[in-house]
Amino acid sequence: MKVAVLSFAHVHAAAYLGLLRDMPGVEVVGTDPDGVAAALAAPGEIRGRAFADRHGVGYVDTYEEAFAWGPDAVVVCSENARHRPLVERAAAHRVDVLCEKPLATTAADGEAMVAACRAAGVRLAVAFPVRFSPAYAAVKRAVAAGATGCVLTVSGANNGHMPTRARRWFADPALAGGGALMDHTVHIADLLDDLFAARAVRVYAQTNNLLYADEVAAETAGLVTVEYDNGTVATIDCSWSHPRSHPAWGGLEMTLVGEHATLEMDAFDQKVHGHSERHGRPLELSFGVDLDSRMLRAFLFGPGPDGMDLADGEGGLRTLRIVEAGYESARRGTAVAVAGG
Amino acid sequence: MPPLHIGLLGAGGIARAHLPGWLELGARVGVHTQDGSADKLAGEYAELGHDVTAVPDLDELLSRCRAVDICTPTPTHKALALAAVARGRHVVCEKPLALTVPDAEEIATAAAAAGVHLHPAHVVRYFPAYAAMRDAVVRGDLGDLAVLRFTRGGARPQWAPWFGDPDQSGGVIMDLMVHDIDIARWVAGEVVRVHARTRGSERATGAPADVVTATAVLTHASGAVSHVTGLWGLPDQPFRTTFRVAGTDGLLRHDSAAVPGFRITAQGVRAAGEGIPSSPMTESPYLAELREFAASWDDPAVRPRVDAHDGLAAVRIARAAVESSRTGDAVELAPAARPAPQGPGAATTTRPTEPEEPTR
Repeated sequence: MKVAVLSFAHVHAAAYLGLLRDMPGVEVVGTDPDGVAAALAAPGEIRGRAFADRHGVGYVDTYEEAFAWGPDAVVVCSENARHRPLVERAAAHRVDVLCEKPLATTAADGEAMVAACRAAGVRLAVAFPVRFSPAYAAVKRAVAAGATGCVLTVSGANNGHMPTRARRWFADPALAGGGALMDHTVHIADLLDDLFAARAVRVYAQTNNLLYADEVAAETAGLVTVEYDNGTVATIDCSWSHPRSHPAWGGLEMTLVGEHATLEMDAFDQKVHGHSERHGRPLELSFGVDLDSRMLRAFLFGPGPDGMDLADGEGGLRTLRIVEAGYESARRGTAVAVAGG
Repeated sequence: MPPLHIGLLGAGGIARAHLPGWLELGARVGVHTQDGSADKLAGEYAELGHDVTAVPDLDELLSRCRAVDICTPTPTHKALALAAVARGRHVVCEKPLALTVPDAEEIATAAAAAGVHLHPAHVVRYFPAYAAMRDAVVRGDLGDLAVLRFTRGGARPQWAPWFGDPDQSGGVIMDLMVHDIDIARWVAGEVVRVHARTRGSERATGAPADVVTATAVLTHASGAVSHVTGLWGLPDQPFRTTFRVAGTDGLLRHDSAAVPGFRITAQGVRAAGEGIPSSPMTESPYLAELREFAASWDDPAVRPRVDAHDGLAAVRIARAAVESSRTGDAVELAPAARPAPQGPGAATTTRPTEPEEPTR
């Protein structure tokens, strides 16, 4: 199976290249034609052929060459605002596509991408790896089995460090569509999209850029309250409030209060904790399963034994609409209806 | 100096948490209730040799006590507080100060006019983890605060039925979440906008699965945002509070369940759900708060960390949350002018914040 990784803009490109390189029966090439210009704009960021070399995968210079190579599937890792042209290209070449999250920066772009893939009969999947967390699977089993009863509220936190040291564009609204609200609301929104046969109907969001105000103009903290048509109210902390000097990038936690049970999950706390005298800082040894690996396998070879599949384009569009409503709410200071909700 | 004479009004769970604190401070305590339960509480303590008596007549108690400690159901706070104020007595009053903003204002205004101290007993300010976090924030250790989270939950209170009646307790927002509303404001400054939602059975039905929970987002004048949740949960829901406070220079988090200091891990039977929380590794926070309140009556330099204005502000924000929860939309809060400092409780303010539009 041949897989091309299109663009190395997203911080996840490194993990995908390494995983695909080591996956039996998979051939991978990368291309990052915008990387040279991007690296000039953001000195210190390794892009293009040097990035592919570092990760030990083959490289081609242009998207045309990548498609001419005849991939069975492509993974789109461009900046959020540049997903659409690459997904449309994949559709034109009738190649299945896994697109980084969020699907796009505007619902209009997302709708066009979904339509293009549907018309071409190709699969459009969106990269939400936390779906593949065993902790989430346990939550899903409990809710599906009726153990929680009706879920009244969800408190979710997807906090990370501000990703601009790795890739500066994450805080550039023109390329990212915003800041933390765009980056971090969608993971938990996707879990709830999968968990409930319910649609988001109203969103209330408040944001600020008090963290890193001197570095970036985008919002760096936000709280987003989403009401679903099954009555569940979820509040998501999407902030880049995890200290940059911390050994971990951040994490994702959820508490679900149901009528019959209260559940907590932490997708990334499968860790041995300690302290390094040598480095003078806390030590964390992660022993959890690799969520990216499970997600890529499901994309290329079909769902694993637990049946978890990737979000499709429509799902990616639904979570994007929540984010769009969140920005409108933050602007207006009032709760707003979700388009198409 | 004559012994400190305290009129303890009520003999329920919180009165039982306060009473040992008063005795530790050397107080003589008269307990007054409407339902005769004062006899039982006073009898228990008198038997141990403490100076605690039941006083069936409120006027008699007010005539000889120096201060009252109102530990009764919330709807009775106003009449009791006004009666004590009319007799020139200082007032310690359980949270929330009252169920409505006008009632809370009336109590605060009457106390100020009479020149007596009014101490809303927001005891979480005296829980050492919260006090340590707030001290760090005031020192500037975390820089400017940006996003805060507070959770508070436990089994639905079953020891007194009035909690389950929102007309009496105000529901989970007024009675439980009000603690963290106060803490969020104490730590991150005035609140200008509130959005809240309540789910589950606000009115207790007595059924086994009788969960009610509320979630609120507070926007502070500084632009910082706080997520606050309150849960009256299932019978086996352990009492637990958490916070996570993030600023430009760092992060502090606390989970009361993670640092008990001491715990019983097995005892042959399943423990009943806890009632009134404590902090067993340190001095009782109830004693700490009562000591600070009582000290301020003799020494004007002692300014308790919570004052009447704070209690009123907590009611105002909690009412806004209740209103938001009813309508589903955000409620704007006009900045409440802090009254000119007058004798009692000229406040220790939080870090100065300039009102501004919350930014994206």
